[in-house]
Amino acid sequence: MQVQVSQPSPDRAPYAPPARTPSHRLPPAVSGAVPIVGHAVEFIRDCLGLLWRAYQEQGEVAKLRVFNKDIVLMTGPRAAEAMFRAQDEVLSPNEAYKMMVPVFGKDVVYDAAPERMGEQLGMLRPALQDKRMRTYGEIVADETRRMVQGWGERGEFDLVQFCAQLTNFTSTRCLIGREFREQMSGEFAQVYYDLERGITPAGYIHPHIPLPSTIRRDRARVRLVQMIGSIVDQRRKSGAEGEDFLQTLMDAAYNDGSKLSDHEITGMLLAAMFAGHHTSSVTVAWTLLELLQAPDYLDRLLAQLAEVYKPGDDVTFQSLRQITLTENAVKEALRLRPPLYILLRAALQDFEYGGFFFEKGTWLATSPWVSHRLPGEFREPLRYDPDRFAAGREEDKKQFAFISFGAGRHKCMGNAFATLQVKTILAILLRGFRFELLHDPVIAESGLVMGPRKPFRVRYQRLRPNGAF
Amino acid sequence: MKVIIDWDFCQGHANCTGDAPEVFRIDAEGKLEVLMEEPPEELRPKLELAVRYCPTGAIRVEG
Repeated sequence: MQVQVSQPSPDRAPYAPPARTPSHRLPPAVSGAVPIVGHAVEFIRDCLGLLWRAYQEQGEVAKLRVFNKDIVLMTGPRAAEAMFRAQDEVLSPNEAYKMMVPVFGKDVVYDAAPERMGEQLGMLRPALQDKRMRTYGEIVADETRRMVQGWGERGEFDLVQFCAQLTNFTSTRCLIGREFREQMSGEFAQVYYDLERGITPAGYIHPHIPLPSTIRRDRARVRLVQMIGSIVDQRRKSGAEGEDFLQTLMDAAYNDGSKLSDHEITGMLLAAMFAGHHTSSVTVAWTLLELLQAPDYLDRLLAQLAEVYKPGDDVTFQSLRQITLTENAVKEALRLRPPLYILLRAALQDFEYGGFFFEKGTWLATSPWVSHRLPGEFREPLRYDPDRFAAGREEDKKQFAFISFGAGRHKCMGNAFATLQVKTILAILLRGFRFELLHDPVIAESGLVMGPRKPFRVRYQRLRPNGAF
Repeated sequence: MKVIIDWDFCQGHANCTGDAPEVFRIDAEGKLEVLMEEPPEELRPKLELAVRYCPTGAIRVEG
């Protein structure tokens, strides 16, 4: 199968690196870099604060230093477009995401050459394409109902924990398969948690810094290969075939005809899980948190849900498209609280943008969190206002302004799946229960994903019996 | 009405083939094919869905 992701169009001229001229400016440095470590301490402790300060001080192009690495923050749609349109051999995501290699594994995704990575991502694509996509709404709805079927008339729960568990079930079942979902033991959850905790901003500096978290991460990776490998073995021995993503990977082959090893299969499953799990989980949590603080909008949203779904109706691919107020609520949560707050590329060649000259070896970064707070792009950017995406305003129409999923050829493959999943979960929960916040959310930048800090207590009151939502 | 694809963006998700099968097809190699560059007006609602739900924002309609 030919994959377009990382292949240049046929008529693209080879890249000619710019010659540096006296009129070029170098990216201006942000204040506060200290000898040797640069901005590293602030980068790890308060990344959002540092990114915002960088933009405030220097504007569209602002240079940070983390140890000996220059990271240039590119803010706003024009700068983001320059970054996202560049070819992999000029601005490389692989080089910048080496921190994921200990998790996904050697020679998998970011550690593979761009063409090989394109082939591997191509193997994931059938799970995210139109036909399969149309079946996911029902599965996500089923998992959501299973999570709440034991709930009583009223009670309290930790929203952050709830969302993490639920999306673990939905993403494993949709992306990997029912069998895997049912076998998800407590051990899997622990191993997965250790892997996730092993990814921290310190990994940008060096993925193998011997911290307790990285040691646990590496142990977890070894165990997970065993666990997935034994399922693969069982299937091969019994001759049983699943109709799931694991099977797709077991059957898949590279263009040269070679098959995937257990190590590669595990890595690809992990890549799909990592891309889709924590990010979707915090998006469910943020959307609900924001909606509960916007009661007028929530009332309209609930009225639309009541119009589209009669008691007992199931969610369908079509009906999910009719609940536009829910869709805009999710999108607005993604704008205000983008799960990935920094996106990176490494310049493998000299690069220029807007009169600035970027030396080979520099990293370029763009921050959805900063870019989404620009008053020139979004009206009253700090306000949670889902109507900004409604007909007439459509503040998302301008390309490269809304970049929660990135943009360009490496834009998140799972973007439609994620939106569908979060909409489904909210549609079920909000029809079945009324929720009430018990305190204000605090932002936690855990690893690479920004979410509300755990625990986040929420009170629920049942509106309908099981089976009626 | 003209259909324009940003080939820098298309990842072959094929959602458009579900929304407007008259206009879009994925070939045997997984690459998008545009069957009609200037589709008739009655296909506009379908095309608008394809534009709205393209995961990579690769489709535009002009005119």
